[in-house]
Amino acid sequence: MGASTLLLTGNIDTIAQMSCNPAIGGQAKGQMVREIDALGGEMAINTDVTAIQFRLLNESKGPAVRSPRAQCDKKAYQFRLKHTLELQKNLQIFQATVTGLIYKNGQVIGCQTNLDIKFMGRTVVVTTGTFLRGLMHVGQNKNEGGRLGDFSAKTLSASLLEAGIELQRLKTGTPPRLLGRSINFTGLQEQKGDAKPTLFAFHDTRDPEDLFHVEQTGERRLGWSPGSEQASCWMTYTTPASEKIVRDNLHRSAMYSGEIEGVGPRYCPSIEDKFVRFADKPRHLLFLEPEGRSTNEYYVNGLSTSLPFEVQLDLVHSIPGLEQAVLLRPAYAVEYDFAPPTQLFPWLESRKAENLFLAGQINGTSGYEEAAAQGLIAGVNAVLKVRGEDPLIIQRHEGYIGVLIDDLVTKGTIEPYRMFTSRAEHRLLFNHGSAELRLFEHSKSHKLLSDNRIGKILHKLNRVHYWQNYLENTRSGAGIWAEGIRRDKEIAKLPSELAAETAEIREEVLYRVIYAGYLERELRQVEKLKHVEKIRIPLAMDYAAIPGMRRESALKLAQFRPQNLGQASRISGVNPADISILMIQIAAQRRATEAS
Amino acid sequence: MLVPSDTIAALATPVGTSALALIRASGPMARLLVPALFAQAPLPRIAQHADYRDPQGILIDDVLFTFFAGPNSFTGEDCLEISCHGNPFIAQKILADLLARGCRSADPGEFSKRAFLSGRLDLSQAEAVMDLIHARSDQALAAANQQLRGSLGRYMAELTTRLIKTLAHIEAYIDFPDEDLPEENRQSINNDIDTLISDTARLLATSHYGALLREGIKTVILGEPNAGKSSLLNCLVGHERALVSPEPGTTRDYLEELIIIGPYWLRLIDTAGLNLTPAPLEQRGIDKSLEQATQADLFLWVIDATHPRPDLPSDFSRLLTTQNTLVVYNKCDLPVVAQSPLPQPFQSVNFSTITADGLTELQAALVNLGASFQVNVGSEVIAINARHTQALEQAQNCLQSAKLKLAQNIASELLSSDLRSALESFAQISGKIDHERILDELFASFCIGK
Ligand SMILES: Cc1cc2nc3c(=O)[nH]c(=O)nc-3n(C[C@H](O)[C@H](O)[C@H](O)COP(=O)(O)OP(=O)(O)OC[C@H]3O[C@@H](n4cnc5c(N)ncnc54)[C@H](O)[C@@H]3O)c2cc1C
Ligand SMILES: Nc1nc2c(ncn2[C@@H]2O[C@H](COP(=O)(O)OP(=O)(O)OP(=O)(O)O)[C@@H](O)[C@H]2O)c(=O)[nH]1
Ligand SMILES: [Mg+2]
Repeated sequence: MGASTLLLTGNIDTIAQMSCNPAIGGQAKGQMVREIDALGGEMAINTDVTAIQFRLLNESKGPAVRSPRAQCDKKAYQFRLKHTLELQKNLQIFQATVTGLIYKNGQVIGCQTNLDIKFMGRTVVVTTGTFLRGLMHVGQNKNEGGRLGDFSAKTLSASLLEAGIELQRLKTGTPPRLLGRSINFTGLQEQKGDAKPTLFAFHDTRDPEDLFHVEQTGERRLGWSPGSEQASCWMTYTTPASEKIVRDNLHRSAMYSGEIEGVGPRYCPSIEDKFVRFADKPRHLLFLEPEGRSTNEYYVNGLSTSLPFEVQLDLVHSIPGLEQAVLLRPAYAVEYDFAPPTQLFPWLESRKAENLFLAGQINGTSGYEEAAAQGLIAGVNAVLKVRGEDPLIIQRHEGYIGVLIDDLVTKGTIEPYRMFTSRAEHRLLFNHGSAELRLFEHSKSHKLLSDNRIGKILHKLNRVHYWQNYLENTRSGAGIWAEGIRRDKEIAKLPSELAAETAEIREEVLYRVIYAGYLERELRQVEKLKHVEKIRIPLAMDYAAIPGMRRESALKLAQFRPQNLGQASRISGVNPADISILMIQIAAQRRATEAS
Repeated sequence: MLVPSDTIAALATPVGTSALALIRASGPMARLLVPALFAQAPLPRIAQHADYRDPQGILIDDVLFTFFAGPNSFTGEDCLEISCHGNPFIAQKILADLLARGCRSADPGEFSKRAFLSGRLDLSQAEAVMDLIHARSDQALAAANQQLRGSLGRYMAELTTRLIKTLAHIEAYIDFPDEDLPEENRQSINNDIDTLISDTARLLATSHYGALLREGIKTVILGEPNAGKSSLLNCLVGHERALVSPEPGTTRDYLEELIIIGPYWLRLIDTAGLNLTPAPLEQRGIDKSLEQATQADLFLWVIDATHPRPDLPSDFSRLLTTQNTLVVYNKCDLPVVAQSPLPQPFQSVNFSTITADGLTELQAALVNLGASFQVNVGSEVIAINARHTQALEQAQNCLQSAKLKLAQNIASELLSSDLRSALESFAQISGKIDHERILDELFASFCIGK
């Protein structure tokens, strides 16, 4: 977008370091990575060229819920992205820890660092992850830090509180890492990658210089041809001995002894939780996942815990294949501050301090994709704010990014928020292949992609429409093409010109034709909702003064300050009659201003 | 400001018996309803007379309708106003028919809201409209709460919870394909859907009882000429509504009157006396009596106790059951004769329309019969209204379509899309359902996560 930008980080070498499992994508998250790519983000391409295993999840189900997932080389991912940032025009990177924000008249105007250097900016985006007063637990042992081996941002919290931003605690955890050569893989079940990888980036519309043939650009960025030399993951299970070890030591687990006050995610239970809450389940599945090509470190997916180190050792040794395993890093839980996201506008600017944007884990989410999506949107909006332009807000029916941010700012969260396809009411519209087409209006109007790529997407969109129209309206033999396709699911017999289109175009056309009935039903519902989403609520609305409005509703509305009627109607406790009343109030105010 | 594009309908006059009832529809469909209902072109602002028939062609009422073309109407949209007879039963039937044809039942104060939004009301009226919405929704809320606090609410909560459970079982396999979940059990999902369908059907069946409660139990008085049928109607109504004379064959056409007995509305219908060997003119009256009898919920068979009873014509007698018939031995103030046993063990009361002796027993017997129309859902008595029926029918359709998909082994996310629509329909009765509950259920039932 051409804005002059400074990136401050406590440690340049940890830019894009994945705190946990170096896996990108998966259910809903995979679709989100493609949306990020459609809006000009780097995550997809960076994953494609540093992945060591690709798998398409839900292949047996319909296209809407098929999701790409990749296991990356952790260090290659991180260093390639760092390199990319270094090469980025208008971006300056500097290593310093931010100790506080500088405010003036309720606006943020810059930040203070530990080097006693101040940096001033028109807008500031804060993405502190798990570092705000980060506290790590291994059993009773506690260390300050946002991540093992990292620092804790201790003073920044105070600076946020000073602006009136409320903070709360959350927790998350990570399993131990093992030395690969100490693992006995014989007898363990192997999980291979897909022979034909499903990539995250849209290579069909990409400019040549963006493509993964990094060798040819002369930049010597890290990376390899996607899908080359894939690595395997391995499966093993806990044993009755593992369960006994966990149960006997429950009182020593940081989570069970009351050491941790933060709330953890239900979808990421620790091994303690799994044994306690699902006592009838005899064993729990674990995946051993390599962390990269140039390391022998393995991640034990499914064994997150906050038990003391010596118990972790016994636990690991009770598992088939891991009898002799050497621990490289212990499992730990981390507690951190987050700012409940209902304190944000839908464009991720703080309601408490102007020009301050928050993104990522600080908003109560968990996950790389969730963080990347917010970072992208917050970044774009920080620039738009400087330019005085309307913010970029992705609607709930346009993509998972829309669902994510709308859920955060209107409903908030009480546990680390992760995206699931079931959170999206219109997920049938969110097949991963359509991300670029769905978000085209946004990428075009905000110039998030090169002109060349915009042109190619437009071409793709036109071809898809052309073929949709053609198949629905042209006869082939006894009937209409589309009807034949829906009836027989027979895609072998397509018009030959369609068969000659790119696979991306063909797949999108077939999805739209085969599922036409369902997609139309979704689109009809979207149309109904769209009209309330378009009715903006003036920022200065005085809810308490609206005649007829119920008091509880007025309080709720004043607290959440929704941007439009659609958002207002999703706030719990505000009933439809109050929405009607609000609608009339908006119309009345508008008419009064027009009249004067 | 955009005005929504759907068509709303509601009763515009207060519920109850007034001479006329006004039903109003507003929105783009109003224009199409005129030819569909009355086979006439929508001429604006001309009141026209027509028969209102349901889609099966059955006459509901003769009505007066007026079409208003937007923006020259109350709401500023195309509007259709239908005035029918003030009987709540008729008005409800017409409204239910409009909903079945694709209208949506209007929210409290929605007509005024649309009028304001389309600029038909001026700014000074805005507050009045807001107050109106507030007041109406309070009434609606009170009424709804009363129902939802009671048996209907409990039943809906139960159905909703089960539907959410079923959804969670489907969603788990969509959102967590990589987890160590037990084999997906489509058979048990099928069973869940089956019981949801049958329980929804059970609830839908109560809509008839609900209709009886609101619209009146159709009660036909029949018997031989001169038995005192018209006298009985007058006696129950409390004034001289029907012509009474010592001449047999006084009543030639049927006549209807609404009365309240205990908790029930009774639509009392007096008919022409039944003769086994009728004269041609009498036959016309008897045909009309039969038309009424075939639609009846209840029968009052009046027998003149002063002489041996004749049999009823077989067309009539086969309609009577012990569940729906009360025998009234009339004229008990006079010396009575012994009667031959009744063809079925009907309940009976001895009565006199002159002294009103036996009135209490008669009323008690009617209340008993009315209660037998209740459809018991579990141990509870529930009666749903037209709006509930509409929502439940939608839910039922979605459940059926989900079942079909399951049988055809169609992908889970499409199955889930139907079940979510069913959930939305349930929500129209029991209020907003937070989808987070699906995830709550999912994480409670499955050990998920790494
Ligand atoms: C132990 C652990 C386990 C996790 N487990 C999972 C999991 O199982 N699944 C999953 O999806 N996600 C997991 N996550 C979450 C995932 O790592 C995060 O959601 C994601 O990385 C958040 O991205 P972010 O950009 O918000 O913050 P981070 O990736 O945490 O990055 C924050 C950055 O800000 C810098 N920084 C912080 N404070 C300052 C300051 N004051 N000054 C300068 N720089 C600063 C840090 O150096 C760091 O580079 C886990 C995280 C942790 C720590
Ligand atoms: N003594 C006595 N006379 C009654 C009683 N009920 C009705 N009658 C008389 O019986 C005659 C017929 O009464 P109606 O009510 O007209 O009888 P109906 O069954 O309606 O007759 P049709 O309409 O001709 O079939 C009238 O003269 C009434 O006054 C009663 O309970 N006691
Ligand atoms: Mg009579």
